[in-house]
Amino acid sequence: MDRENLYDVLGLEPGASRDQVERGYRFSLEMYGEDALAMYSLLEPAELDGMRSRICEAYHVLSDSEQRAAYDQDRGFAPPASSAVPFQGREESGAEGVELPEVLSGPDLRRIREARGVTLRHMANVTKIGTRFLEYIEEDRFSFLPAPVYLRGFLQEYARIVSLDPRGVADAYMKRLPAHS
Amino acid sequence: MALTVSETLSVGRAAKRRQIWSVGGGKGGIGKSLIAASVGWQLARMGQRVVLVDADLGGANLHTCLGLPNPARTLADFIQRRLDTIEEVLTETGAPGLRLLSGAGDLLTAANIKHAQKIRILKKIQGLDVDVVLIDIGAGTSFNSLDFFLISDVAVLAVVPEPSSIENGYRFIKSALYRRLRAVAPHPEVRRLVDAALDPKNEMGLRTPLDLVARVEQEDAEAAAAMRREMSSFHPRFVVNEVRDERDVAIGHQLVAACSRHLGLRASYAGFVHFEDAVWRAVRRRRLFMADAPTSRAAEEVRQLTRGLLKGEDLGSGY
Repeated sequence: MDRENLYDVLGLEPGASRDQVERGYRFSLEMYGEDALAMYSLLEPAELDGMRSRICEAYHVLSDSEQRAAYDQDRGFAPPASSAVPFQGREESGAEGVELPEVLSGPDLRRIREARGVTLRHMANVTKIGTRFLEYIEEDRFSFLPAPVYLRGFLQEYARIVSLDPRGVADAYMKRLPAHS
Repeated sequence: MALTVSETLSVGRAAKRRQIWSVGGGKGGIGKSLIAASVGWQLARMGQRVVLVDADLGGANLHTCLGLPNPARTLADFIQRRLDTIEEVLTETGAPGLRLLSGAGDLLTAANIKHAQKIRILKKIQGLDVDVVLIDIGAGTSFNSLDFFLISDVAVLAVVPEPSSIENGYRFIKSALYRRLRAVAPHPEVRRLVDAALDPKNEMGLRTPLDLVARVEQEDAEAAAAMRREMSSFHPRFVVNEVRDERDVAIGHQLVAACSRHLGLRASYAGFVHFEDAVWRAVRRRRLFMADAPTSRAAEEVRQLTRGLLKGEDLGSGY
């Protein structure tokens, strides 16, 4: 697996949409998680560690449109199709005209979700984020939430399902995280 | 003149090739027999003519899953010529279109059966005039079990969300695949490499089929190409049994991705079945939950699973 590219690491093809990058990232993180059953006996714990850091590296590049463009050019990959150009929230249907507050709490998110008639189960099914994590987010149980880099991805996915600006929601929620090293 | 509905159906049926399905998993106690019995039951319900074959050496219990007493006639009667045709060995299950062939486990272990005779009986089983022969393979990775899996048109690999089951599932897949790769190995040198790869701690660093093929490539490009063809035609379908939450459901998708990324195999996720009280209550009463609790979630999931298997559909990549 040494010669695989960043897309392979997330189980994607070059040209994947921004949305697919998010999903591939989340899927791969869960798949190679510390207590992930599916990899049992196939990879050693140290190899799982290695996979997780490569997944984070890959996501770091592919989720940033500038870095991704440079990477694609370097590798000779075609850029993502125009329909799959990174969204900036406002282009998403239903996201127009929604003014996000500076700060969002878990209960705020739950109210928005419920107002849109989205169940946690549906959200978990679509995003592949465990219901448990979605509940922790909505209950502001910060100590149970994953590391910020993962949490940001979760929040963006959450925002997308309820048609809000993913980046804005992640920023507004994460402002409230207790500062720790 | 236009055909009637039943004539059209029977024409379609005659034109269709009889299929072999199997349910394996390498580990006992994960509900293989229950899955085989319920999928077979549902297939029959959907109008397929089905024979369930109990090839579980460890514990032939398909009849119990179906709420039947120990079958009076088994394959042994045919082998010892007490019955003339294999059709006479079949036991009616009470469900229209669903019959049971018991004692195929004996066929796999009986030391006094010659290989040629074994092949003859397997051919008879394959030759049954039905739509689907569904084999409950049972635990273990004996060559006979692997061969049942390998000759199947639809090879279902059952797992439960537990480490030992996942480990056995991978072992079963690898053993089956390596058996197939060994069969196409053109000379002893390549066969030795396949045998070495079977030991996960081998000193050549051959940990996966991908490693093996890369190594064979250095020796014999043609053999490597043949192996790649075998790998691409091998297609296990995962069923995750006894799931309790969304994380368990997701395991099927992860297994498929793991097969593709780390073993170089195209697997698919055929379906999952929830762990449910209704199922074990039915099991305890020696009734099949499909009939006993048709509105249970597990019964609906088996119906979806069966439809998917019949149409060749799966649950996608999960992302």
